[in-house]
Amino acid sequence: MNKKVDWLLVLSIILLSVFGLIMIYSASYIWSEYKFNSPYKFVRNQAIFFIIGLIIMFFISKVSYTYYYKYSKQILMLCIILLILVLIPGIGTVRNGSRSWFGIGSFGIQPSEFTKLGLIIFTSKYVTTHKKLLPAMLMTLFVFAIIMLQPDFGTGTIIVMTIFGILFINGMKMSLIIKLGLVGISGVVGLILVAPYRLSRILSFLNPWSDPLGSGFQIIQSLYAIGPGGLFGLGLGNSIQKHFYLPEPQTDFIFSIISEEFGFVGILIVACLFIILIYSGIRIALQTTDKFAKNMAFGITFGVAFQALLNLMVVVGLIPVTGVTLPFLSYGGSSLLITMTSMGILLNISRYTR
Amino acid sequence: MFISRMNERMRLVLVIILFVFVIITLKVFYIQVISYDKLNNYAKDLWSRNLPLEANRGIIYDRNGVTLAGNITTTSLVLIPNQIKDKEQTAKLLANILKVDYNDMLGHVMKKTSIERVHPEGRRLSNDIADKINNLKLSGVYLVKEAKRNYPYDTFLANTLGFVGIDNQGLSGLELIYDKYLTGSYGAIKYFSDAKGQRLKLSQIYEQPQAGMNMSLTIDFKIQEALERELNNAIDMYSPEGAWGIVMNPNTGEILAMASCPTFSPTNYQKYSLEQINRNLPIWMTYEPGSTFKIISLSAALEENLIDLDKDHFTDTGSVKVAGATIHCWKHGGHGTQTYLEVVENSCNTGFVNIGFKLGKDKLFKYIKDFGFGKKTGIELSGEEDGILFDTDKIGELETATTAFGQGVSVTALQQITAVSAAINGGILYKPYIVKSINDPETNQIILQNKPTKVRSVISNATSKKVRYALESVVARGTGHNAYIADYRVGGKTGTAQKVKDGKYMVGNYITSFIGFLPADDPEVVIYIAVDNAKGVTQYGGTVAAPLARNVMLSIIDALDIEKRTNEIPKEFVYLDPNYIKVANVVGLTLKDAKKKLKGFNIKSFGNGKVMYQSPPAGIKINEGDTVRLYLQ
Repeated sequence: MNKKVDWLLVLSIILLSVFGLIMIYSASYIWSEYKFNSPYKFVRNQAIFFIIGLIIMFFISKVSYTYYYKYSKQILMLCIILLILVLIPGIGTVRNGSRSWFGIGSFGIQPSEFTKLGLIIFTSKYVTTHKKLLPAMLMTLFVFAIIMLQPDFGTGTIIVMTIFGILFINGMKMSLIIKLGLVGISGVVGLILVAPYRLSRILSFLNPWSDPLGSGFQIIQSLYAIGPGGLFGLGLGNSIQKHFYLPEPQTDFIFSIISEEFGFVGILIVACLFIILIYSGIRIALQTTDKFAKNMAFGITFGVAFQALLNLMVVVGLIPVTGVTLPFLSYGGSSLLITMTSMGILLNISRYTR
Repeated sequence: MFISRMNERMRLVLVIILFVFVIITLKVFYIQVISYDKLNNYAKDLWSRNLPLEANRGIIYDRNGVTLAGNITTTSLVLIPNQIKDKEQTAKLLANILKVDYNDMLGHVMKKTSIERVHPEGRRLSNDIADKINNLKLSGVYLVKEAKRNYPYDTFLANTLGFVGIDNQGLSGLELIYDKYLTGSYGAIKYFSDAKGQRLKLSQIYEQPQAGMNMSLTIDFKIQEALERELNNAIDMYSPEGAWGIVMNPNTGEILAMASCPTFSPTNYQKYSLEQINRNLPIWMTYEPGSTFKIISLSAALEENLIDLDKDHFTDTGSVKVAGATIHCWKHGGHGTQTYLEVVENSCNTGFVNIGFKLGKDKLFKYIKDFGFGKKTGIELSGEEDGILFDTDKIGELETATTAFGQGVSVTALQQITAVSAAINGGILYKPYIVKSINDPETNQIILQNKPTKVRSVISNATSKKVRYALESVVARGTGHNAYIADYRVGGKTGTAQKVKDGKYMVGNYITSFIGFLPADDPEVVIYIAVDNAKGVTQYGGTVAAPLARNVMLSIIDALDIEKRTNEIPKEFVYLDPNYIKVANVVGLTLKDAKKKLKGFNIKSFGNGKVMYQSPPAGIKINEGDTVRLYLQ
C-alpha cells in the first residue's frame, strides 16, 4: 500500500467546497433573511455538513475499498430498501414536489444520493466478475424506475449515465451504443409525435424569451445574472439577481451568481478547479491496477463530472432545465456528504496506485 | 490487455468531458462578453425604478428682465406600492391627511404598478400636509419636489401669457404657442430595486431635470402696468362691456403693452368662462373703428397730393347727399368753411367724405389694404381676426364715402395701431411682434431672436410728417384735447363708433377709442385704447378714451424717460379746459409788477422787497390758477 496522499485532489476538493460555502452565503443571505430572519441559516447548515463531510472523507480514505467489494450486494440492498421506504408517506417527506427526503429536523437526507454510490459499487464489482453487462443494465433501470416514482428525474439521469459510463469502459460495443442511441431518439420522437407541444417546450431553452414568464423564466433570470457579470464581475456580495429575481439562487443556479459576482475570470477559475479534480480522479482510475478499484474510481469521478456538466449546461442555456445541483458548490447537505464520502473512497484507491 | 482498453476508453471520456467544459466556457464568454451590452441593458431595465421629477418651465420676462411667469417648487406624493408594508394602515393615514376616500386611497396603495401618483389630491401639496406625511415615515411613500408655474402678478398680461395645466403643459396664449420651448424635460431619481420592489442600497442616480427655455417679451412692465391700471379704472368708472388697449413702438412693431378687460387669473383659470380666457380683445375683437380710421384716408390723400392742409378749404353744411342717402356730420349744422387741417381737427365727417371722393374707391381701398387692413398682422399670438372690408365689386359711392370716415369697415385694435404706426413713423408698415428672444437657461445662448420686420413702404417720409403735424394739431386744437400733455407733443385722433348688431346700428351703444403717439416730431410710442359701451358718460372717444390714454402716456414718459420738446403746437383752449400758461420771468421786479406779469396765477409771496427767486422758474407751463411762489428781499 502506497502511503502517499493525492494532495492535488484534496486541494481541489477543499478549494471548491470552501468557495462553495462563501458563495452559498453570498447567494442565500437575502433569501435566508427573508424566510428565516437570519442571513446565516443556509451557510451554517452547509458548514456543518462540510465539516462532517471532511471527517467522513478522512475516515473513509483509511478504510480499504476491498470491504465494498465484499459487501457490494448488501450495500445496494440497503440503498434500495431506503429508496422504497422514502416513497411511503409519513416516512419520506415531500420537497419541491418530490418525495425523496428523510427529514431530520431542518436537515434532509436523500437516499437516491446514497443509491448512486451503492450502484457504482455494485456495478463495479459485477462487471469485474461477470462478462455480460445486460443484468447490470437491468438493475440500473430498476433503480431508475424506483427513483422516478419520487419523482427525481435529475438524480435518476445522473445514476443511469454514471453506470452507463462504467459499462462503456468495460467494453460495451459501439454497435450497442448506437442502437441504444437510436432507441432513445425514436423514443423522444415518439413522445413528440404523440404530443407536439413537447417540442416547443424542449426547444424553449433555445429562445427563452418566447415564454419569459413560463419555461423561459429561470433561464432568463440566469442570463440576467451571468451577462452583467462581464469580464470581472460585480464583486463578491454585489449580485443583484439574488435579490429575489433568481429563485433559490443558492442551489441549482449558484453558478449564475458566481458569474455575476466574479465575471468570466471567476468562471475560468471554477472550471479549472473542476478540471483538476476530474483529471485527478481519472488519473487514479488509470493508475490503479485493480479492476474493481478502477471501475469504482472512474464511476465516482465520471458521476461528479457528468453532474457538474449537466448543471453548467442548464445554467448557461445549452440544454433545458433539469434541476440538477452543482457538486461542492450548490447548497445541499446529503449531496455534499455523499460526494465527500465518494472522494474518501477515491483517496483510498489512490493509495494503491502504482 | 483488457485493462489497456479500459484505460483507452477512460482517456476518451476525459477528452469528451474537457471538450464539453470548453463549450460551456465559450458559451459563458459569449453571454458575458459578446452579449454583455444587450443583457446588461435588459437587466438594468429589470432592476431599475424611476421616480420622475418635473422640470422648471422656462421663465417669461418682460423686455427689462422682470419675471412675468416663473416657477415655485412644490411637493408631490409618490407611492411605490411594492414597498408599502402595511397597505391598509398606509391607506388610512394618507386618506385622512389628504381628505380622500379610504377606498380610493386603498386602490392607489394596492395598485400593481411600480410608481403611483395620487392625482390630483396628492399633487402640489402645502408644506403643512407634506410635513405631516413626512413625519409618518411610511415605507414606500415618497415626497418629490416638483416645479409649478407661478404668475407673480396674477392677472397681469394674462390674456397674452395664457396659462398651464396641472402637468405644467401650456394650455393657452404664449404658454401654448411656445410650449415646445418653455417645457423642460423630466429628470429622475433612478435606483435599483429587488424583485419584490424594495429599494436596494447599491446605487442611486439623480438625473437633474432640464429647465425649459427662457423667453423675453417686448412688453415693458411699467407701461403694461399703467395700461392695465387705466383700463381697470375705466371698468370701475364706466362699467363698460369691455376695454382694451395696446402700446407699440412705431419704429419696430414691438408690442410694449397689450391688455384686455375683463381678464382672468391664470392660476385659477377654471373659474372663468371660456370667452373671458380665450378672447384677447385687442386682436380678437373686430368692429367699426370710427374716426380713428380717418388717419388712413388723410394719409392717402396727402400722399396723393390731393389736398393741402393749410391752403385748401372745405365748406361743411352739416350734411351731404351721397347716392340718394344723406350723411350727417357729427356736429349739428356743420363746421362751416375750414382748412383741411381744421377738417381733421374737427373730425368733420362730410370733410372726409369729400377726401374719400377726391381719392376715389380704387385708391382709397388700395391704401387701406397697403396699411394692412383686411388681413391678420401675423403677430405670434393665436386668435387673431382678419377684419372685414367691402368686397371690391360691391363698392359704390356710398361705401367709398362711409369708409373714408371709418364706417362700414371692421378692424381689430392691433390692425389700427399697426397702420397708424406706419402713417407716423415715416411711412413704413412693420409686422407687430411680442416675443423678443428665447434663450437657453444655462448657456444663455440665443435660440430665437425676433427683429423688426418691414412689410412695405406705404407713404413717403414727407407725407408722414404732415400726418404727424395734423394729428398733433388735433390734440392741441381739436377733438383730442383731453390727451394733451404739455411739452411732449402728443398727436392723436379720437374715435366714436356705433356698434352693429344683426346688420343694424345699435342705439346709444358705442365703442369709444383714442389713438395717440408722442412726441410728434419723432414718435417713440403709439397707444390705442378702446372702451366698449361706457355708461354714465357722454360716449365720445375724446371724453372716455383720451383721458385714459393721457394717463398711460404720462407713465410712458416716465418709463421711457422721454425728453421734453420745445417747439410744440400751442394748445388752444376750450371752455373749462385747464389753461397752460408759460410762467414769465419776474426776478428783479417789485411784487406789484410781478403780479401784473403773472396775471391769472395764484401768487404767494414771502418776505419784502424785490423778487429774488421764483417757483416754478420762468419758462415752465402750468395751469391757469396754479400757485407761483415768490421770495422777496
